[in-house]
Amino acid sequence: MKKLLILLVALGVPVIGICGSTPAYAENLAHENENNFLIMAAADNDADSKETVVAADDFYDDELLFLDEDEEILDVYDPLEPINRGIFWFNDKLYFYLLKPVAKGYRWVMPDPLMLGIGNFFSNLASPMRIINAGLQGKFSDAGNELTRFAVNTTIGIGGFFDTAKDHFNLKKKDEDSGQTLGYYGIGPGPYLVLPFFGPSSFRDGAGLLADSRMDLTYYLWEDRDYWAAIILRTVNTVALDKDTYEGIKRDALDPYLFVRDAWTQYRKNLVDN
Amino acid sequence: MFKKLFLTLTAGMLLAMTSLATAGASPTESIRGSVDSILALLQDEEMDKVIRREKIGEVISERFDFRAMSQRTLATNWKSASKEQQQEFVQLFSKLIENTYIGRVEAYTDEKVDYPGEKVKGKKAVVETMILTASADIPVNYKVYQKDDKWWVYDVIIEGISLISNYRSSYQEIVKKEGFDGLIAKMKAKIKELESQPQPA
Repeated sequence: MKKLLILLVALGVPVIGICGSTPAYAENLAHENENNFLIMAAADNDADSKETVVAADDFYDDELLFLDEDEEILDVYDPLEPINRGIFWFNDKLYFYLLKPVAKGYRWVMPDPLMLGIGNFFSNLASPMRIINAGLQGKFSDAGNELTRFAVNTTIGIGGFFDTAKDHFNLKKKDEDSGQTLGYYGIGPGPYLVLPFFGPSSFRDGAGLLADSRMDLTYYLWEDRDYWAAIILRTVNTVALDKDTYEGIKRDALDPYLFVRDAWTQYRKNLVDN
Repeated sequence: MFKKLFLTLTAGMLLAMTSLATAGASPTESIRGSVDSILALLQDEEMDKVIRREKIGEVISERFDFRAMSQRTLATNWKSASKEQQQEFVQLFSKLIENTYIGRVEAYTDEKVDYPGEKVKGKKAVVETMILTASADIPVNYKVYQKDDKWWVYDVIIEGISLISNYRSSYQEIVKKEGFDGLIAKMKAKIKELESQPQPA
């Protein structure tokens, strides 16, 4: 535990240096329990005060409703775009020519319940990551929830293969990771980063990923080749369970790189804010 | 124990809120109506695929306000576009949104949809839905507003990702690099590509 904390701090320091910190900590505290609706309400008040300015525009009344609502453009800092696009291209090929065919074969031979079980198993092994990070963010009831889930699923759920905590005790998983913890303490994501194999990330979340892997029991249960075999199994299993999300994006988006980048940035921001 | 108490309280509050807000169909009832019709269409195995897509498209266009969505997507670019450009954009954009939305829901034919709650404020509301799949629960929230006694969707938020914000940001960048005409050309090309492609099973 202590070692993990030290590691996290050690990782955090260079990240602060790179990303520059935003004083979001105080803000996060205030916003902790806020949701879309309150933000929307705030935007509403805003709209009222700007009404005179807006009224000069040539839109009919109903459209006025939206003029000031979260129209701020999602600001993604992506100075490494050319390199990121290269890695995105690499990951894309990796996905379509290696991962996907393997996952398809895997899905063909594996019964659904077994795949779900394997997914649960790896998710359960990553429980310490969620417990520690919920705790580090002062979310003690979430940390307790994860701890209970871990205890229940490891025992009654037979080594985590079944999500008994969710199915029978209505204890649902809440994702927390080191990137979110760093974000909670005011560290911005820094430049957007596409990691080979791992996909979309940022300087902050990339560092978080490294810390996370050390809070995952998978790391301690197996060594060297066995560890990587476990990671590959986990990845293939995840892709096999996924309903072609990436295919959908590739098919629909005008520029899949931008779509993934912006979706991922929003997704992470939402997780950090909640 | 506390959790239960908390849940009861929350449920009670939600009930109180919804009963206050129900004049005409509530936002949740409206969304549920559309989602149910779409699920029914998806589960009808005998229906021809093309006809099914058309019918789903009809349900969507009765619930999604594509003009409001277009305006919010383009933001400042909407104001600088001509009336014709705006119209063309709305038309192309509705096709793309429809396609994306249908493509996504088609993958979730057999799943259950839960309605944990709604939040109403004046003429706007957020309807929370949860798609319950075997491996995960996916939160999908609909932002709706009231026009002519009907609730219209103007944004869909999937796992915290607002569709509109996403499009806005990507489209902004395309307009910046290739101009408004460049964006329109890209949209046309994409629609052509989508229409010529056989839909994945």
